[in-house]
Amino acid sequence: MNDDDRIAYLAGEPTGSIDDSDERADLDELRALLADPGLWDEPAPGLEDAVVAAVSGAVGARPGHTVAPMPPAAISTAAPTTSISPTESSASVIPIARHRSRWTRSVVLMGAAAAAVIAVVATMVVLTGGQDDRETFSMVLEPTDALPAAAGEATLIKTDSGWQIELDATGLPRLDEGDFYQAWLRNEDGTLVPIGTFNEGADVVLWAGVSPVLFPTLTVTRETADNVQDSSGDRVLVGTITQD
Amino acid sequence: MLTVADIDGFRRGDSDAVRQVYREYGRLVYAVARNMLASKELAEEATQQTFVKAWQAATSFDSSRALGPWLTTIARRTCIDLHRREARRSAVSIDDVAAAHPSLVTAGPDLDQGYDAWAVRQAIDELPDDERAVVRLQHVEGLSHVEIAEQLGVPVGTVKSRSFRAHRRLAAALGHLREHDRRRDHIPEQPFDPPSPEPSSDARRTLG
Repeated sequence: MNDDDRIAYLAGEPTGSIDDSDERADLDELRALLADPGLWDEPAPGLEDAVVAAVSGAVGARPGHTVAPMPPAAISTAAPTTSISPTESSASVIPIARHRSRWTRSVVLMGAAAAAVIAVVATMVVLTGGQDDRETFSMVLEPTDALPAAAGEATLIKTDSGWQIELDATGLPRLDEGDFYQAWLRNEDGTLVPIGTFNEGADVVLWAGVSPVLFPTLTVTRETADNVQDSSGDRVLVGTITQD
Repeated sequence: MLTVADIDGFRRGDSDAVRQVYREYGRLVYAVARNMLASKELAEEATQQTFVKAWQAATSFDSSRALGPWLTTIARRTCIDLHRREARRSAVSIDDVAAAHPSLVTAGPDLDQGYDAWAVRQAIDELPDDERAVVRLQHVEGLSHVEIAEQLGVPVGTVKSRSFRAHRRLAAALGHLREHDRRRDHIPEQPFDPPSPEPSSDARRTLG
């Protein structure tokens, strides 16, 4: 038996024969792998962006890290509807942007997993002694399962008129025609104070008449103009100020 | 080829570095996941989780070691976890579950699985395009040389020679040849990718 015999057997040639049963089993195993369509599969084109976004999301969820911008291509327009517990997954997963319109159950669950595993982490930095000595906080906003690729930062500046809140968020698809985002400050009792509405997350200026010291959690929800003033509860970003 | 700076950037979670690592190893991680999970969606989820877990553990990674086998190990464990998760979810009546549902895989992936898939996929990727096409049509589609020749519009003799060259490359790359050495077959060495960090006896036998 020589290598030409081995090659012929691997190629499935009628002339190929292998006497040694172990060697034949090895080559059969290789032939089985070569015949596995899955092994020839190419990953979805959006998987690269989704992987980068998932790692960036994990980086942002780690205390002390700044959230990296999410690539737009990794952002799904599909809203996951099901949650799974944190114990079911130890890494966040970003839905992959696809050209097909219908999402499979698994992909929906993949998206839902993100919120379950991304800790709500916010950092508060009290910046005093600056040029104008105004009391200023900054926080990092983390995504929920509704939009796992979302991320944001907010700076809260005390003024005589109230608290000016500069929000800069990525990964929020534009909402309009009656749909919009609404930002809220919330205290420990769950009391919500609306601080403004907007269509896109870039460079948004909000105003609050309550102190973030007393209302330390900032949330962003998706809302519809339906004459209901309560929060829909459809949160897409959350940041909680933690006192040092 | 990844640089030390790429690895350091990956440790920091730098997006460009993560992208570089994915481009180097993403297809192989996906191939392992696809082989172990038999579902495109789960394989994509496993690929994402593998890279996130790799980043989470990257501070403990010894950059003098090969990254590929380390990623393979993470990918395999991730696939097993995902398979178990899917199996736990299959609490509905068996009659109500589609036959192709991943939770209906009768036997879960075992720890030995995955290494071979990585190595074979790597060897496939190293084939010239024309040879890779022949091997795919032959093994996946089950076509004869004559049928492949018709499909590709080339003489049957060309198909035969491409097939022989391709299988010789594959056999050499995967350690199935006894008389030819790898340099003679022009299979590029992959210093960053030894076939397996902890191959089982079966894997050793298969991968050579």
